[in-house]
Amino acid sequence: MSDDKRSAFGAKRCAAGPMNDARLEAARKRLTESKGQEDAIEGLREIVANLLGSEEIGLFRVDRRTSTFQVFWSFGIDLENYDLLQTMGGSGLERVMRGECHVEFAAGDRSGATAKAQAFVPISVAGQTIAILAILRLLPQKLAFDRSDMELFKLLSDEAAKPLFGSSGHSIPSEGPGIRT
Amino acid sequence: MSKKILVVDDSRTALMMSREILEKRTTYQCVTASDGHEAVEKAQQEHPDLILMDVVMPRMNGFEACKVMRQQPGTREIPIVLVTTRGEESYMEAGFQSGCNDYITKPVDGAELVALLQSYLGE
Repeated sequence: MSDDKRSAFGAKRCAAGPMNDARLEAARKRLTESKGQEDAIEGLREIVANLLGSEEIGLFRVDRRTSTFQVFWSFGIDLENYDLLQTMGGSGLERVMRGECHVEFAAGDRSGATAKAQAFVPISVAGQTIAILAILRLLPQKLAFDRSDMELFKLLSDEAAKPLFGSSGHSIPSEGPGIRT
Repeated sequence: MSKKILVVDDSRTALMMSREILEKRTTYQCVTASDGHEAVEKAQQEHPDLILMDVVMPRMNGFEACKVMRQQPGTREIPIVLVTTRGEESYMEAGFQSGCNDYITKPVDGAELVALLQSYLGE
């Protein structure tokens, strides 16, 4: 894939209007008020569906010892044979492991964006990526990811680990809650 | 007196987002329900000026709730805006046949939502 169809967004903030602030506040509140891991996962699904516009989502856990990525949970898509490395490429995966979001077909890209728009968001604790949230297809009415979405990605990256995986962020059970379609 | 909006959604995130927008960024008052059945009850109790309602919900979906409200004297005239993830024409047609006044798709753009509400309710 050529570079013009791939965009990487780091931690920098973009100009946010008051409505985007409302969106961020709702996402933050939903995550922090989650009652346990199952509710946090449901919250994550709700945030992606309602605020980002996707119903094909995967959450991969990162095993740094073996340098592998395992499906922890998915919604709307079967990820049994999904290969993160093949999809993102080595540089994309490295970027996410460094704590940056990797977004394909962001706003301003050419036609075909909707069908192929994907975002990979590091879920981090103290700067270390412990899981990767994959948003794999947008709803037809959402044309592409935009700059305000990057702020929501940043929030998820910084704040989703604790409700999802506990206060240390490292107490990840070996088995996820399963696949939902 | 501020206008009252009944927001109906089984997603806590969607309700939180609506509250953030309506209560902190407009002068509208917000009451909520989490399914169509509760929406019908709340609409009769609260007499909202407008109902913003998700379609896919447990117990009673948005289409069904819309039909029920259109049959009841106390709620027949309340503007209903349906909100859903599905934007296909046939789906929207089903929404209008259930009696809704308008239809918006998720993800909801906050500014567009407020503009739509203002078109029904004023500032």
